Amino acid sequence: MNNTPHVVVVGGGSTGVGIARDAAMRGFEVTLVEKGNLTHGTTGRMHGLLHSGGRYAVSDQESARECIEENMILREIATHCVEDTGGLFVKRPEDTEEYYQEKLEGLRACSIPATELTAAEARAREPYLAKDIDKAIEVPDGAIDPFRLCVANAKSAQNHGARVETFSEVTDLLVEDGEIVGVEVTHESGSGNHVHGVEGAVEEIRADHVVNAAGAWTGELAAMADIDVEVRPSKGVMTIMNVRQVDTVINRCKPKGDADIVVPHETTAILGTTDEEVSDPAEYPEEQWEVDLMIEELGKLVPILEDARTIRSFWGVRPLYEPPDTGTDDPTDITRQFFLLDHDERDDRPGMTTIVGGKLTTYRLMAEQLVDHLAEKFGIEAACRTAEEPLPGSEDEGAIEAAMNEFGLRSPIGKRSAERLGSRTADVLDTDEPNPVVCGCEAVTRAEVQDAIEESGSNLNAVRIRTRASMGNCQGGFCSHRMANELHPDYDERQARTALDELYQERWKGQRHALWGEQLGQAMITYAMHALTMNRDRDPAATEDSLDFGAFDAGPSTEARTTADESAGIATDGGEEGTHGD
Amino acid sequence: MAIDSDVLVIGGGIAGISSALAARQAGADVRLVSEAETTLHHASGLLDVLGYHPNAAGEGPVVDPFDAIADLPDSHPYAIVGESAVRDGLALLDDALGEAYQGSYTDANALVPTHGGTVKPTARYPASVAAGLASDDREMVLVDFERLTGFDAGVAADHLAAAGIPADTSAATVEFPIVVRDDAKVTRYAHLLDENPTVTVEGRERRVRAALADAIEPHVGDAERVGFPAVLGVDHPAEIRAELQDRLDAAIFEVPMGPPSVPGLRLEDRLYAALDDAGGRIEAGGGPIVGFDATEGTISEVYLDRSGSPIPYAADQYVLATGDVAGGGIDSDREGVTEPIFGCHVPHPTDRYEWFDEAAFGDHDFAEFGVVIDEMLRPVAETGDPEFSNLRAAGAVIGGYDYPAEKSASGVSIATGYAAGRQAAREA
Amino acid sequence: MSDTQRGDTGTDRDEAETESDPPEGYEPLDVFGTTTEMDLRSGADNCTKVGTCDAECPVAEVNDDFPGPQFQGPEQWRLSEKDDVEIDDSITECSNCLQCDSGCPSGVPFSEMHNTARAKYVMEDQPLSIKKIRNRILANYRTSAWLASKLPRTANFFMNNGVVRWAMEKTMKIPSEREFPEFATQTFREWWGKRGGEAASKERARAARTERGEERDADKRVAYFHGCYSNYNTTEVAKAMVRVYESLGYEITVPKQKCSGTPMFANGRVDDARRHAKVNVEHMGNAIAEGYDVICTCSSCSLALRQEYPDLFDLEGIDELAAHTYDAMEYLRIHEDLEAELAGAEVEEFPDVAYHAPCHSRNQGLGRQAVELFEDVEGVTVTDVGDSCSGISGTYGWKSEKYETSMEIGEEMFDHMEEADAQAGMTECPTCSMQMEHGTGYEISHPMELLEAVLVD
Repeated sequence: MNNTPHVVVVGGGSTGVGIARDAAMRGFEVTLVEKGNLTHGTTGRMHGLLHSGGRYAVSDQESARECIEENMILREIATHCVEDTGGLFVKRPEDTEEYYQEKLEGLRACSIPATELTAAEARAREPYLAKDIDKAIEVPDGAIDPFRLCVANAKSAQNHGARVETFSEVTDLLVEDGEIVGVEVTHESGSGNHVHGVEGAVEEIRADHVVNAAGAWTGELAAMADIDVEVRPSKGVMTIMNVRQVDTVINRCKPKGDADIVVPHETTAILGTTDEEVSDPAEYPEEQWEVDLMIEELGKLVPILEDARTIRSFWGVRPLYEPPDTGTDDPTDITRQFFLLDHDERDDRPGMTTIVGGKLTTYRLMAEQLVDHLAEKFGIEAACRTAEEPLPGSEDEGAIEAAMNEFGLRSPIGKRSAERLGSRTADVLDTDEPNPVVCGCEAVTRAEVQDAIEESGSNLNAVRIRTRASMGNCQGGFCSHRMANELHPDYDERQARTALDELYQERWKGQRHALWGEQLGQAMITYAMHALTMNRDRDPAATEDSLDFGAFDAGPSTEARTTADESAGIATDGGEEGTHGD
Repeated sequence: MAIDSDVLVIGGGIAGISSALAARQAGADVRLVSEAETTLHHASGLLDVLGYHPNAAGEGPVVDPFDAIADLPDSHPYAIVGESAVRDGLALLDDALGEAYQGSYTDANALVPTHGGTVKPTARYPASVAAGLASDDREMVLVDFERLTGFDAGVAADHLAAAGIPADTSAATVEFPIVVRDDAKVTRYAHLLDENPTVTVEGRERRVRAALADAIEPHVGDAERVGFPAVLGVDHPAEIRAELQDRLDAAIFEVPMGPPSVPGLRLEDRLYAALDDAGGRIEAGGGPIVGFDATEGTISEVYLDRSGSPIPYAADQYVLATGDVAGGGIDSDREGVTEPIFGCHVPHPTDRYEWFDEAAFGDHDFAEFGVVIDEMLRPVAETGDPEFSNLRAAGAVIGGYDYPAEKSASGVSIATGYAAGRQAAREA
Repeated sequence: MSDTQRGDTGTDRDEAETESDPPEGYEPLDVFGTTTEMDLRSGADNCTKVGTCDAECPVAEVNDDFPGPQFQGPEQWRLSEKDDVEIDDSITECSNCLQCDSGCPSGVPFSEMHNTARAKYVMEDQPLSIKKIRNRILANYRTSAWLASKLPRTANFFMNNGVVRWAMEKTMKIPSEREFPEFATQTFREWWGKRGGEAASKERARAARTERGEERDADKRVAYFHGCYSNYNTTEVAKAMVRVYESLGYEITVPKQKCSGTPMFANGRVDDARRHAKVNVEHMGNAIAEGYDVICTCSSCSLALRQEYPDLFDLEGIDELAAHTYDAMEYLRIHEDLEAELAGAEVEEFPDVAYHAPCHSRNQGLGRQAVELFEDVEGVTVTDVGDSCSGISGTYGWKSEKYETSMEIGEEMFDHMEEADAQAGMTECPTCSMQMEHGTGYEISHPMELLEAVLVD
C-alpha cells in the first residue's frame, strides 16, 4: 500500500514523542524533528511531578480528572520512569481551613484517592516536615523522569518504523497553494545521531500533514506559514537539592502561589516554582530572588531546606495558551488544559495541526486525541493502544529484579542502573569487559554510558539525560572528562574534547545558581581541577598560535637524568623515601 | 593552661607547612594545627609559580615566572611579598624535598602533560614526571589501564599531538597484571607496585612490576619514554621507575592526575616529614579552630573544638593558612562571604550573581575571594588597618588572585607562607 | 611495678562486674525509619568527591572486595531512599579504623554513616550464621571478659590452648594465629577497691598538692573511664594513670560503668551498644554534674564517648559527656605544664620504643602528643612509626576471614617498627597493642606507663 500518510511531528518533547509513538503504532509513516536534544524544551525543564490531579482539584476539575486517569495509566506503561512516592497536601497554621475543606471536597469530586493525616502521622511519614504544621491530605502523586519517558517513547516510535531526528531545526514550512506540504530542516550534523564535527545539511521533508508540537516555540513555527498562534510563555524556577530531604511529594495546601512544592526526584529533591510571563521563551532573566524564594518559602514546610545544599537551579517555560480574547492577566490563572488547533478549520491553512498547552502527566492523552484527529482525517481505523502497551524498558518488571542480582555490581549501583534501564538492564549490563563506575554520584557504569553513546552519538548531554551521569553533587567535576574518554576511540579526540566542553558548560549553567556554601566550594574544586590541574581553560590545542616548546624546561639532559636515577633511585631509592623522617 | 608555642600556624596545606618551616628555620618554637588529618591528597603534586599572566587572556604561558612578577598588579600577593620571598620560599621547599623534586636548575617553566592531554606550566615537578616534559622531543608512548577511567592514554596522546608538542605520541591500553576490582582506587595500584607480589601470568610466576613491563613491552617500539597514570608507588616510586626503565629500556614518567592524587600523597608525606625533622610540632585531625580571645587587637588564645570541648592553644604570633572557598578557609552563604575563624574582612559583591561569570572558564569573582593583607601580611579591615597585630595570612585564604587561571596555587602558598612564617618568628 | 594493696575493700568495688548481663537476643532496631537522626543522606551534602577518604583507606589499598569509604559513606547514603536502603555487602569489609573520618577535608560524618550502615546490614541482610554468632561474642567482649576473669588462669589456658583454639577457628572462625588477650589475676577495680577507692585517692591527692605547693582544696578531680581492657587485661595502664594523676594532685573517682560499646557498634550491634552507653552516660554524667571531668586511657573508649556516642545515640546528657571527656594525656597537657614537669627529666630502665599512633587517637587529633611530650626526656627514645594503620581495628582482625587483610594492612607498621631503633613498642590502644605484639614479638607499653616512670618515684 503506497498511500500510507506521512506525518512530520515538530518537537521532541513529551507531546511530540508521544504523538510520534501513537501515530507510528497506528500505521502512519512518521518523522519527528527536534532542534536540540530530546526534551530540549519544557519537558527537560520541569519538576518531574506525576500529578495525581490534586493540585487542580479546586481550580480546574476537568484537568484534575485527566491527571488521575493518566497517572494510573503511566504507572502501568512506564514503570521504569515512575516512582510511587505518594504526595501530601500540607496545611500550615496560616493556610485557611476553608481552602483545606475545598481541597478535600474537590479531590473526592474528581475521584482522586485522598486520606487525611494528622500532623503527627504526616511527620512520622516525613520527619523533616515542620513541627508546627496542622495536618495533611495524602494523594497518589508520584515522581516521573521526563528524560527517560521521552527517550522510551522515541525508541518505541522508532521500533514502529518512525524516523527520529535530533539537532534538526525546522527552518521553514513548505507552503504550496496555501497548503502546508512539509518542512525544511537544517541538520546540525547530518541526519541520524548527533556527531560532532560532521557537517550540517539542509533537507526538505514533504509530508501529508505537519504536527506542530513545538511547545514554547509553537508561535514561531506557525508564523512560518503566516499563522498566528499566541502562546503565552511563563517561566518558572526549579531548585535542585543535593539529596532527598523528603521521599514524598510535598505540596502546600493553599490556593495558588509561588514555591509550593517539593518533588523527590531520583537522588535529589526539586523545589518549585514561580509563574511569570516572559516575552521570549529562549531569552529571559534568571534571577537570584527566585532561587531565594524557593528556599525561604519551602523552608516553612521543610525547615532543613534552609541549610541544605542545592546543586543547581533551572528555569522552564510553560507554553500556556488561551483562545484569543480570553484576556487573562495573571499567568497563574491561565488554564492548564491543552488545545488542538486544526489550521484548516481555524485559519483556512490546511496541512498542519497545532497542539499546545497541557502538561507532562497528560502527554499521552494529548497524543491520543491528536492522532485520533489525524486518523479521522486520513481514514485510518486503527485504535489507540498507547494506554495498554508498555514502553520499552517497562515490558517486564520481573526482569529488573533478576538483573539486579546478576552483574557483579554493588547493590545500590545495580539497583539504580536497573531502575533506569528497566527491562533493558540485562542487555545493557551483560558485558564481558570490565565495567567500572564512571559517575560515582549517580552510580553510572561504563556499560550504561557506552549504551547511551551507541543510542545518541557523540553528544554527552544526550548521554547525560539517558544515564544521569554528571547530574549529582559534583555536577560533572569528577566525571565529565571520564565520560568524554568513553567516546574515544569510536569518536576522535577532537570530537571528545568538543563534547566535553559542551557538557562542562551545560553543567556550569545551572550550577551558577547554587554558588554559596558547599556548592561554591565544589565549584572551586571543579574549577581548580579543570583549569589549574588540567589546564583546560588555556589549552594550547584549542588556540591557533603554536607554542614555542623550545623556550621551556625540557628536563635534565638524558645523561644527567640517568645519573640522577642511579644515585637517587636504583641504589637507595633515597630521593623519594624517608616518609617518616629517618 | 593553654598548649603553648611561639608561632601557631592554623592550616596544614602547602601554605601552612611553608610558614611552619620558615618560622622554625628562623628559630621559633612552632606548632601547626590542621582540622583534617590530610591536606594535600587532592593536590596534583606540581609546584607551580606562575603559568599565565593574569588579565592577559589569549596569551600563551609565561616562560620565566620570576621575571613576570614585576608586571603584576600591586595587590597581587607576589607583588606584596616580592620576588625574593618567592625565590627564598621555593629554596626552602627545594631543601625539604631534595631530589624528589626537580626544576630548580632553571628559572624557566616546564610544560607537564596533564591527564586530560593538555600541558600545564609549572616551576617545580616531581622527579617522577621529569621524563615526560612536553618540550622534550623524544618519542613517547602513553599507557593506561582498562579499569582506570580517569586517564585515557589514547585521548591524551592525540591531544598532546593536537597541542603540537615536539615529540611523536602513541598510546596503549593494557590489563594490569593483577585483576583489581573494576573501580580500584589509585592507592590499590600503587600498593601493588610498591609491594611487588608474585602473580601467575600464562603459567609463569612473575612479579607484578615485571609482568607489567611484559604487557607494555610490545607497544614500546621506538619510543624512548613511557608515560603512566600517576600510580607508580607511594613508598618506593624511584625504585619502581628504575625497574620499569630497566625492563623497557625507556625512560619512565608519570602523568599527574586529579584527586585523589598519588604524587600529592607523596608530597604531603615528604613535607610533613621535613617539618617533623625540623622540630615543628604538628597536630592534625583534632578539629576546627572555632574561637579566640583577643585584647586590644592582639590575639591571646585560640580554641580548637574537639567534640564540644574547647581546647586552648596560645602563641605570640598566629598564621592563618586555612585555604579558600574550596578549603573552608573562606565561608559563604546566600547572604555573603566571611572568614569564619577571626571574622576578617573579605571583600565581595553584595549581589550574589556577580560572584561568577556566565562562562565556565570565565573571569570568576569567587576564585579571588579572600582576606586583604598589608605589606606585613596582616589581614586588614575595610578601613585598611590590621585586624589584629599578631595575625598573618598565607596561601589561598588571601584574596585578589585567580590561581586556577594563573596556575599559581602552590607558588603563592609557598611565597606568602615563607614570608608570614619568617615575620611571625621575628616578632615572636 | 608492684600491685601494692592498701586499704580495705572500697564501696564501689565490682560494680561493673555485677552489672554485666549475659548474651541475649537483640532488640529489633528501627535504624532508618522514624527518627531524623538516622537519615544520613544529608551528610552527603558535605562531600566534595575529592576522594581523600579512599586514598586514606587502608582496606581499599589491600582488599579487592572493598569499594572504599567514599562509596560506603556519602555515595551509598545519597543513593538510598528512606524506605528502601540497600546496604552493600562490602560494609562488612570496613574495619572502622576511621582514617576516612580523620582525613575528610569537609566533615562528612563517616563514622556515623559506617556504623549506621553496619547496624542496618546486620539487622536486615545478614543471614543468621556462624559469623553472626562470632561477631556477637567479639562485640560483647565485656561479657566474655567478665566470665574469663572469674577464672583467669583457666581462661588463659583455654583461650590459648591449641585444641581449643582449633575448635574456635573451626566453629567460630576466630583465626588460630591470634593469641587471646591474657587476663589479669586481679582486675583494676578489685585493685582500686582494695587500695581504698575514692577516699584514699582524695588523701593522696591532697598530700601531693601540699607537696607541690598548690592549694590543699584545689578543684582537681577526674572520673576514670577505664573500659574493658584496662580493667581485665592491661591493669598496669590503669594503675599508672592513677599514680600519675594522684602525684599531680588529682582526686580520682571510678564510677560504675560498662563497656564503651565500640566493639558492638563496630560489629553492627548498635542496640547492645546503646544499652551500655545508657549506663555510661548516666554514671559519668553524675560525676560531671559533681564537677568531675572524664578521662580515658584507651583511645577507642575516648573516641566512643566524645564522638561516636552523640553520633549514634539520642540520650540525655550525651553531649555533656562528649564535651567533658578527654584522653588522659591530653587532659594533663591542657591543665598542667607538662613541658615544665618533664624538662630535664630522666628515666631509667625504660626501653626505647617504636610508637604507633592508633587510628582512634589520630581521629581525635592526638596522634603526635606522645612523641612530642617525651622528646626531651633523657634515657628513652620514642620513635614515631608514622601514620600506617595496625590493621586490627578492634575486633576486625579477630575474624578468620579478615585475618589476612588485617595482617596485610599491618605489614607496613611492622616494617616501620622493625626499622626503628627500638626494642619495644608503645601505643594507647589495647587492640593495636596486641597486633603490634603479634606482628613483631615486642613488648608493648602505654605512654601513661612511661609518664609514670618519669614522674612518679
